[in-house]
Amino acid sequence: MSSHSSEGDLVKHGDNYINHSAGIKSWLNTLDHKRIGMMYLFTVMIFFLIGGFFALGIRLELFSPGMQFMTPDTYNRFFTYHGAIMVFMVIIPLIPAAMGNFILPMQLGAKDVAFPRWNLVSYYIYVTGALIAASTLFLKGVDTGWTFYTPYSIRSNSSATFVLLGAFIMGFSSILTGLNFIVTIHKLRAPGLTWGRLPLFVWALYATSIIQVLATPVLAITLLLLILERTLGIGVFDPKLGGDPVLFQHFFWFYSHPAVYIMILPAMGVISELVPVFSRKPIFGYKAIAGATFGIALVSFIVWGHHLFVSGQSEFANFVFSLITMFVAIPTGVKVFSWLGTMYKGSLRFDTPMLYVFGFLFVFTIGGLTGVFLAVVSIDVHLTDTYFVIAHFHYVMVGGTIMAFLGGIHYWFPKFSGKMYHESLAKFACWLVMIGFNVTFFPQFIVGTLGMPRRYADYLPQFTNYNRASTVGSWILALGLFITAYNLFRSMKTGKAAGDNPWGGLTLEWQTTSPPPFENFKYDPVVTEGPYEYKGDRIGMGINA
Amino acid sequence: MSTSQGVVTSAERHHAHHFESGLAEFEACKQGMWIFLVTEVLFFSGMFLLYAILRVFYPSMMHDAHHLLNWKMGALNTVILICSSLTMALAVSAAQRGEKDKIVRYIWLTFLFSCGFLVVKFFEYSHKIHEGILPGALWHYEELKAAKAPLFFSVYFVMTGIHGLHVIIGMAVMLWLIKRAKRNEFGPEYFTPVEMTGLYWHFVDLVWIYLFPLLYLVS
Amino acid sequence: MSNNNNHHKKDSHHQHHILTNAMAFKVWGALIGLTFITVAVAQIDLGALNFAVAMLVASIKATLVCMFFMGLKYDHKENTVIFTTSIIFLSIFMILTFGDLITRGDVYVKDGKIIPESFTAGTVVKSKFTKPWISTPELIAHGKEQFQNQCVVCHGAEGKGNGAASAGLNPKPRNFTAAEGWKNGRRPSQIFYTLSNGLGGMPSFASAPSDDRWGLVHYVRSLGPHENEKDTPADFKKIGIDPDKADGGGGGEKVIPVDFAIDQMIADPAGAAKPVKPTKGKK
Repeated sequence: MSSHSSEGDLVKHGDNYINHSAGIKSWLNTLDHKRIGMMYLFTVMIFFLIGGFFALGIRLELFSPGMQFMTPDTYNRFFTYHGAIMVFMVIIPLIPAAMGNFILPMQLGAKDVAFPRWNLVSYYIYVTGALIAASTLFLKGVDTGWTFYTPYSIRSNSSATFVLLGAFIMGFSSILTGLNFIVTIHKLRAPGLTWGRLPLFVWALYATSIIQVLATPVLAITLLLLILERTLGIGVFDPKLGGDPVLFQHFFWFYSHPAVYIMILPAMGVISELVPVFSRKPIFGYKAIAGATFGIALVSFIVWGHHLFVSGQSEFANFVFSLITMFVAIPTGVKVFSWLGTMYKGSLRFDTPMLYVFGFLFVFTIGGLTGVFLAVVSIDVHLTDTYFVIAHFHYVMVGGTIMAFLGGIHYWFPKFSGKMYHESLAKFACWLVMIGFNVTFFPQFIVGTLGMPRRYADYLPQFTNYNRASTVGSWILALGLFITAYNLFRSMKTGKAAGDNPWGGLTLEWQTTSPPPFENFKYDPVVTEGPYEYKGDRIGMGINA
Repeated sequence: MSTSQGVVTSAERHHAHHFESGLAEFEACKQGMWIFLVTEVLFFSGMFLLYAILRVFYPSMMHDAHHLLNWKMGALNTVILICSSLTMALAVSAAQRGEKDKIVRYIWLTFLFSCGFLVVKFFEYSHKIHEGILPGALWHYEELKAAKAPLFFSVYFVMTGIHGLHVIIGMAVMLWLIKRAKRNEFGPEYFTPVEMTGLYWHFVDLVWIYLFPLLYLVS
Repeated sequence: MSNNNNHHKKDSHHQHHILTNAMAFKVWGALIGLTFITVAVAQIDLGALNFAVAMLVASIKATLVCMFFMGLKYDHKENTVIFTTSIIFLSIFMILTFGDLITRGDVYVKDGKIIPESFTAGTVVKSKFTKPWISTPELIAHGKEQFQNQCVVCHGAEGKGNGAASAGLNPKPRNFTAAEGWKNGRRPSQIFYTLSNGLGGMPSFASAPSDDRWGLVHYVRSLGPHENEKDTPADFKKIGIDPDKADGGGGGEKVIPVDFAIDQMIADPAGAAKPVKPTKGKK
């Protein structure tokens, strides 16, 4: 997000992380968590653009029944790339690695993460893995779907091996980021920043990091076994050689279900930051939200079987996984009601970040509740592999994670850049995103219950109108996102100076200059009270310089 | 996890200045290493699960197949690895006491033991490859007809292969440690890389402690 | 861990623990000794106990390595907690996966009822009737029962193609009492073929046991003037039945257990998508 061209404007504001040293090399070799965060953000956005291109391609093809401009084979590649890029290269690193890298050490009052060099290594591992996976675009492509289900993925005559290798490598980046954050939170909190005073975004990243560290290695071995399966034919997942293809799904979802919470927990953390700031009230249920965060993280490890309801998993396992899955709704509900409780009788401000919070609450609740439907085996048997599932997880991933990300990026943009974005343009874009999103995905709930299967290049004529609505919605959504990007990029150069704390936030990142100086704080902060103690007009967490 | 220095000034060598002291940095590195070992356990978990499945559902195949492994070689390697763990522990203690010559000597010993381990492994592997006792589709050993026996050797080769890869990585790190120790970089004030390599190496030993009875002594 | 300040103060007083050489050699001796015990025990046959002993000894060895060589005994409790976490999550992974594997395939559905019985791969529900393509009163009675359950909605209680749902259907359901309009023909094997594969708006009932389908064939034929139709060898070939054998085709598991499906795929990977038994008769 930060370009070098903006450096010249900011020099006069004094030393900050952007002008601390100059030249492209000083960025590529940087150990500064803020610069690494920005590099992540920029790279992730490039992949978001590519993933979005495939999404628009899918929607365009589905504008009418029959094949318009691609073969079914091309279509398979489109949805595979859309899924794999958006999951492995965008949503997983989006909030933790990009936003978390920038904000986490500052919220802790630390000068950097615990292992700055490994932080940079993790970025380059991510780039390497992403490039290896993306290189297959120019080879034979990949058509297995982002889940790489065996036995098809073993025999698929495509470049699946490279995509698997890329995802395998990116896993190490995710592990390193998680490991780094855990140690940072344990060891580098400012004096007085006790566990009970940690901002909820930190709690969310803490739980996320634990999931990353515990689940990602299982993905690594899964992908490695599949690579060996494709290259040497070791046979453990190959029915032809006596292996069990359903076992692959157990392996895969032991990672990939917790990964869903790698995507959503940081988003919930962002929402927990925004709600008290824009309600000017202490957060309702601090301990409940922190506890619920860990509740979700723990439960996420014991529900993966709900992805296997129709895969030939045993009836007994279906029953157990279905039951546990419904427990996810409890901590999630605790969070939603705590946010509402915070807003209740607060002095709400409707700035752009808060609009995204409302957007998040609206769509995420729909996404979450439809998840409870799908947890019921008898319903899932009918809805599985239909567009109902597509709509459900887009409501959670796009409606949850992307909405929270957009709220967060508007909230912290003044901190990242020192500039303020164009408010009314941002609000306009926010409405476009909200409308576009719902127009795209709500019809998919309906068309899913009517039986339209996912991952097909064609559909029955009676589904045409729903699909047309969906396609038009995707254009509105894309327009909203482009306007947002334009607004932010332009404001980096031409925006008004934002001041150090435009929102009156109490967490530590707002108690330093914008953009922050090289080691975050001019003085070592000492914390004396919690992060959301909004009383009257006073601004600023209790700090002794 | 060995070192993590920010901008290091000559006055406060080995102490990255986002930590308040060298000790705080050491503790952080050690915790990071333990978390890394957690990821290692879970990385191996997939293979242990595959093993457990074969063991529970195909016990007689496992029994027949494991006779193709030479338990004497496995036991020899166990002893070798335990000895290498000992010398590694002695190297860490020497580093803590600042005895430079002993650090170098013990790490060299550890390195030699690991070479020994790999040599034994090499003989085991080449024998199997020669006989056609290979994983999955590559299997062409006529003597054993038990269904799914090739799968046991898939698990065997993947497990010991990845373990062997860990040994090789450990050996590379040891060479780097020897180079640094010779430059007198380690002492009571700073021995983080030696300690971290020690943790890693003991973990490699730990995995083998389980692999040996599981693979070679199926009964 | 509750107060970071105190934590750091404690750190600065904390001295590195140095493992003495004597202790290191003691631990090494114990590890070597335990290795010999493992090997020795493996030579004696203790049945299931062998595995338990081997794992117990390995765990003692692992604990020794963790506590002394890796220094957890002298370290912050935090690191012990961290490392233990990995064992807990490894167990979750194993236990829940086994929860599926060991219960998989012991329950399957037949005739809409869950029948808990051990399903061994390769078993197929056997036909109760001998040469069911030859009409018997039992088969007709069996078919009538099926007809009342499955068919009357469209085909009507008398089989005249005027069931409640027929109003919305075009073309109309077959009238079994008339001789004309049978697209696939009306010999027993031809009707069986239609039942198994569907025809136009008529869905396939291949998932029903073959007994049910043969019963329906004879019941439907009993409704109209269809007495003189004889099956030809070509007809039998089409539905994959050898008329010299007694077997009526079997089949009919409504849920195909995974292990069974896998065995089918191994036996014939190219035809993996074909049904359990060749009831469709197509190769």
